[in-house]
Amino acid sequence: MKRIKAVMVKEFAHIRRDPASLLVVFLMPLVMMFIYGYALNFDIKEIKAGIIDYSGGDLSRSLIEKFANNRYFVIEDLAARYADPIKAGEELLKAGKLKEVIIIPADFSRRLKGGQKADLGIIIDGSDSNVANLVYQYNELIILDFLSAFQDLKELISLDTKIYFNPEVKSAFFFIPGLIAILLIMISALLTSISISREKETGTIDLVFISPLKSSEIIIGKTIPYILVSLVAGATILVFTRFWFGIPIRGSLLVLFVFSLLYVLTGLSFGILISTLAPSQKTAMFGALLATILPSVMLSGFIFPLDSLSPVLRGISHLVPATYFLKIIRGVILKGAELKHFLFEGVAMAVFSLVFITLAIAKFSRIRKKAK
Amino acid sequence: MRLFYLVKKEFIETFRQKEMLPLIFIAPILQIIILGYVVTTDIKNIPVEIINLSKNRASFEIVQRITSSPLFNVKNISNQDKDALDTLKRGRVKAVIRLQDPRPKAGKALNYPEIQVSMDGIDSNTSAIAAGYFNGIIKKYILEDLARKGRQMPVDTHTQIRFNPELKSINYMGPGIVALLLTISTVFFTSVSLVREKEQQTMDTLLISRLTPVEIYIGKAIPLAVLGLVQASLGMAVVMLWFKTPVRGNLLYLLLSALVFLPAILSYGLLISTLASTQQQALFFSWFSMITFMLLSGLFTPIENIHPAIRPLADINPVRYLIKIIREIFLKGNGVEYFYRDLLALAMIAITVITLSILNFKRFISR
Repeated sequence: MKRIKAVMVKEFAHIRRDPASLLVVFLMPLVMMFIYGYALNFDIKEIKAGIIDYSGGDLSRSLIEKFANNRYFVIEDLAARYADPIKAGEELLKAGKLKEVIIIPADFSRRLKGGQKADLGIIIDGSDSNVANLVYQYNELIILDFLSAFQDLKELISLDTKIYFNPEVKSAFFFIPGLIAILLIMISALLTSISISREKETGTIDLVFISPLKSSEIIIGKTIPYILVSLVAGATILVFTRFWFGIPIRGSLLVLFVFSLLYVLTGLSFGILISTLAPSQKTAMFGALLATILPSVMLSGFIFPLDSLSPVLRGISHLVPATYFLKIIRGVILKGAELKHFLFEGVAMAVFSLVFITLAIAKFSRIRKKAK
Repeated sequence: MRLFYLVKKEFIETFRQKEMLPLIFIAPILQIIILGYVVTTDIKNIPVEIINLSKNRASFEIVQRITSSPLFNVKNISNQDKDALDTLKRGRVKAVIRLQDPRPKAGKALNYPEIQVSMDGIDSNTSAIAAGYFNGIIKKYILEDLARKGRQMPVDTHTQIRFNPELKSINYMGPGIVALLLTISTVFFTSVSLVREKEQQTMDTLLISRLTPVEIYIGKAIPLAVLGLVQASLGMAVVMLWFKTPVRGNLLYLLLSALVFLPAILSYGLLISTLASTQQQALFFSWFSMITFMLLSGLFTPIENIHPAIRPLADINPVRYLIKIIREIFLKGNGVEYFYRDLLALAMIAITVITLSILNFKRFISR
């Protein structure tokens, strides 16, 4: 214990002596949070729709009004502005100025009034399939609403949708807590990734090798100081989440702390493992960034829902620590979930930390033996 | 001619490390295939739970339609009522659908169940789409049922989807990912190239040669431009052959845009390299800019959605213009008349960055 403490003191000295790196570790996540918090947004604000009304009359006008009054749609009357509105509509779709064109044929109002079936034409820009999907769904809803004047559909069925945890359906609720998971693993892995590789580069590793300390003591002593640093960074991020982005924290901070500790430990032990493997600081940092950021962003459910992934990739996602912490942090912050909801996830993170740190110790003793 | 030798030296240096070959040629192919599968997840298999308290035929049929739809993954169907909020808190399902017999109303011949959907709204995108899917299923059922009973809907909506009729997101994302990979590899390699010579003190050897600064600068950029183009072509081939993304436009336009884009991104990397004092700093900064380029490129989320506070950052992001052009060429088959403005913006960015970076390079070598 005393010997571990000695290593810790030495490591703290390293941290103190290099305030520039520490500043980077604190500032970078905040800058990232600011940029990403404002960049990532799936909320569809306006669907630009061109309308060509050949029919006129109060029925087609009331349909157009339904679109105009919907907060998602911004409509443009193409027939009033262009001599050949259909062609203009096609061009505007191609140029990306419109998302859809709605064509109301000349006999629309007349046929509806006469109790006959009328037609309605819609052309949607499908390039971004997600957006196109939403546009299509919104169209259907609006048209259904319009039709309810003819068919008492609304009377027939009562469909009531309630949205929990995020009633305004803002994507910030989805992304910002998720970002905490990404940033925390990145910071913690980065911090320890350079600790041993730095000694390798400066040659001071030999001094460490010939010390009477056990390999496990060195590795553990080198990891512990960074727990504190990572947790402080995590707390800073959380403060921003709450007060800058206004995300409510509905769960208990203690629960959040316990899980964050486990998660940070996973990141730190992963970083130290990389540090024993990499020949230089550069390789170590690069490795740490690549191995944490890419899988954490792509395969954890941060942006892309895991349920929709192919089975193989979903299998791989279970090997990404962020997958577990994302569930936890979204659950605790947004749903007010408790410790008992995430026991499995907690155990998974503990197992990750143990595996990483054991591997790191094994690798470290091997290179130490070789050096002798 | 002198330039040729420098280019040759750079190539030798790159390929001398035997790890580089797989990194340059195999990594992008793997990355595209994996990313291609990840980022194109069309939302489906949404886990839901159904509570069916009704025994009538309509509810039975609605439940069946939800169960057989690939969009939903029904985890549990029960006849017992329970608290939806608690189920959602556990997080195993994204929505709880509860059906019950309609309260009797006078004079209603048709009996459809009362339906309540409780959704986990955290993933706003998925919940919006899921709500839409669900509405669609119910609406379709009722319309078909009404038609069976002789009541037709008075309006037929004919929706055409242009440019990507099957709504496959790989068609939208695939080509964009290639642009991203091109950016990643070129920025990383260029950002360390000058600072490495400085760190290893070989910069002086270059400087006392008869090469002019501009020659050194260009000599550093050319090999990386070539590598980038090779990688991007490999990536494009994967997107086109493996994912079968249609190419509707002229690929020459693509080459043209790449040739405007590459000088911009290469000189950006070199600019980082002249500003950084160690390779570590250079890598760090290039990695940081890369993520920013990626998120502000419109690759994952529409450009219009970016908050006005950081919109200017998106406007000077070269990757954004390249991705827009690529998508127009691939999906819409647009000619240059549709994206000449983006091309001009790209050219302006290129000129600015090149000027800045050459000025800085002169300062860098005069030290």
